[in-house]
Amino acid sequence: MRFSQLSDMNAILGSSLSKSFQHYQVLKEVSVEIQQGECYALFGPNGAGKTTLLRIFATLHRPTSGRFEIMGMDGSRDRVKVRNTIYLIGHGSYLYDDLSVKENIQFAIGIRGWNPTDGEIKKALDQVGIGRFSRLRSRYLSAGMKKRLSIAKALLIRPKVLFLDEGYASLDERGVDMMNECIRTFTKAGTAVLMTTHDRGPTAEVAHRVGVLNRSALTEMTVKEMVAADALF
Amino acid sequence: MHFFSVIRWIAWKDLLSEYRNRENISSMFFFALNVILIFSFSFSLDPVTIKEIMPGIIWVAFGFTAIIGLGKSFLIEVNNDCMEYFQTLPVPKGAIYLGKFLGNLLFMLTVEVILFPLFVLFFNLDILDQLLPLLLISAVATIGLSALGTLFSALTVQVRAREVMFPILLLPLSVPIFIGAVEATRGALSGDAFSMYSHWIELLLVFDVIFVIVSFWIFEFILDY
Amino acid sequence: MVATHFIGKLRKFEKWFGIVAGVLIAVGLYTGLVTSSPDYYQGEVVRIMYIHVPFAQTAMLAYSSLFLCSIWYLWKRESVVDNACHAAAGLSLFFTAGGLLTGSIWGKPTWNAWWVWDPRLTSFAIMFLTLVGYLMLRTFLDDKEKRATFSAILAIIGFIDLPIIHFSVEWWRSLHQPLSVSTRGVSIAPDMLIPFTLMSFGVGLLFTYMLMVRTQMLYLEHLLEAKQGRLLNEGQG
Repeated sequence: MRFSQLSDMNAILGSSLSKSFQHYQVLKEVSVEIQQGECYALFGPNGAGKTTLLRIFATLHRPTSGRFEIMGMDGSRDRVKVRNTIYLIGHGSYLYDDLSVKENIQFAIGIRGWNPTDGEIKKALDQVGIGRFSRLRSRYLSAGMKKRLSIAKALLIRPKVLFLDEGYASLDERGVDMMNECIRTFTKAGTAVLMTTHDRGPTAEVAHRVGVLNRSALTEMTVKEMVAADALF
Repeated sequence: MHFFSVIRWIAWKDLLSEYRNRENISSMFFFALNVILIFSFSFSLDPVTIKEIMPGIIWVAFGFTAIIGLGKSFLIEVNNDCMEYFQTLPVPKGAIYLGKFLGNLLFMLTVEVILFPLFVLFFNLDILDQLLPLLLISAVATIGLSALGTLFSALTVQVRAREVMFPILLLPLSVPIFIGAVEATRGALSGDAFSMYSHWIELLLVFDVIFVIVSFWIFEFILDY
Repeated sequence: MVATHFIGKLRKFEKWFGIVAGVLIAVGLYTGLVTSSPDYYQGEVVRIMYIHVPFAQTAMLAYSSLFLCSIWYLWKRESVVDNACHAAAGLSLFFTAGGLLTGSIWGKPTWNAWWVWDPRLTSFAIMFLTLVGYLMLRTFLDDKEKRATFSAILAIIGFIDLPIIHFSVEWWRSLHQPLSVSTRGVSIAPDMLIPFTLMSFGVGLLFTYMLMVRTQMLYLEHLLEAKQGRLLNEGQG
């Protein structure tokens, strides 16, 4: 499958990545290349190491062995530069309970050295469908709303590489559509999206390529193969 | 400059949260109040004894305040995995430390300033003419305590049994602060000339400078282990 | 690679440290406990100093190696260096406890009390508590990298604090209780100097030997754990 390439450089390049926690080897020699503007979906059973792989790329874990590059920069040596280009939507909401939705956004973006205008914040919040709640303290947000808020932050930060851990989790049907719409916005702008997911239906609409992580090894396939397969693992 | 704006954002966020829920300051304050209460039962309260033990009472109360308040200071950062967000931020990590340190320092000083009149009230202390040196001693000692406390709070908040580990790590290493603060306070309360106890304040200042700098430098490793 | 090379070096040299330490300590104990004359003021009690002083000195040596290994770990992040930190901390605790115990035994006949708030004793007691905290912190952390990094941070902070603690305790002591017996400024007779020197070097080398052995032990434990993990993984797949 071809799609418009913005440059020759890989957005994400992982080679022979291994990671062990105590006795357990989660990843064994995993290699993957993801281009700019590409959406790569990662399937796999629970505990297969999807999140671990994501977190290694997001500079949260150090690999036990192997190396990786983000936008051509070495993942262990140029960590600060790498962090300038990435954003992770993970299991944590990164919110402060007693700040309002808008204040949380101002903090999360402001600390990165950029202060978005009220209009920009409102636009992002409207895009993810929680514009009405901008003055609500984030303590009262539901899991789905927190997920939407994370997407709004990503829209404002506009990272070169976006990591989505369990992209569709806790979102309702319209939320899933909204998520896919946002993923398209990102990939069109050249952002590489790496997501872990269990939902084949919605993933098929946006993903360009699919990887299945099972027993610490990665098998790649096309979206068509993924849809046609009886079971992925 | 971006460095200072990071400090400002962190402190702003902590102060705003505290303004809204008042969790830290109120728990620190009421805990210290209980400590004072227990003390007043534990010792005979004749004027001579009071003068002798007052510096100790003040600094034990402030010490407990620090354990309660500083120990919780990073809870807000782990509840929703904000530490993880800090880790992936492309900003100097030391600035995050300084922001947290400034917030904690302000909380501690606020509680101390509220507590001082209560010491006067409960123990019939006459400190008005010594107010300035006492405030100076409190400020200088609290800077050191907050510097080390903020660092150890970040260290222990991700550890099992953090409520135990925080004081176990903080107290032995802040012995110089307690010695310096108690001796300087003793000097001030007995009406000595400032130069008689100023060497203790110098000791506290040395501690402050060393541990603000070392903590600032070493904090990066807590976020990026 | 670095680790196996490092461990290989330790294996190669450890026995020499052990042998020399053993000889020095044996001769030192003999000269100190048997042939040297009793002290003019302290009498036979002085003989425990031949153990107390080397222990206290070696405790300082152990803190210093813990400090250096911790900096080394933060710099290179080699897990074998963390094994060395762990070993150095355990040995620091051992020699600190030994120093406190022998100091206390010496203090009973000399100061007529098991414990006095002498600046040096107090500093050692604070260091003892910090080391206990260090080892507790290690047991409460499960993640290997996190444990290594956090304990290294604590060790560095504690070491930097050490002179300030000692200094402040000294000031505080001089204010409240003048020293009854000063151990400083006393000239040492030559037949006492020989056992002192022998024991100082002997116990110092004993520590080095123990550090080398213990580091290897912890490293092998860590290897064994990894190997068990690999077997578990293969069993699954």
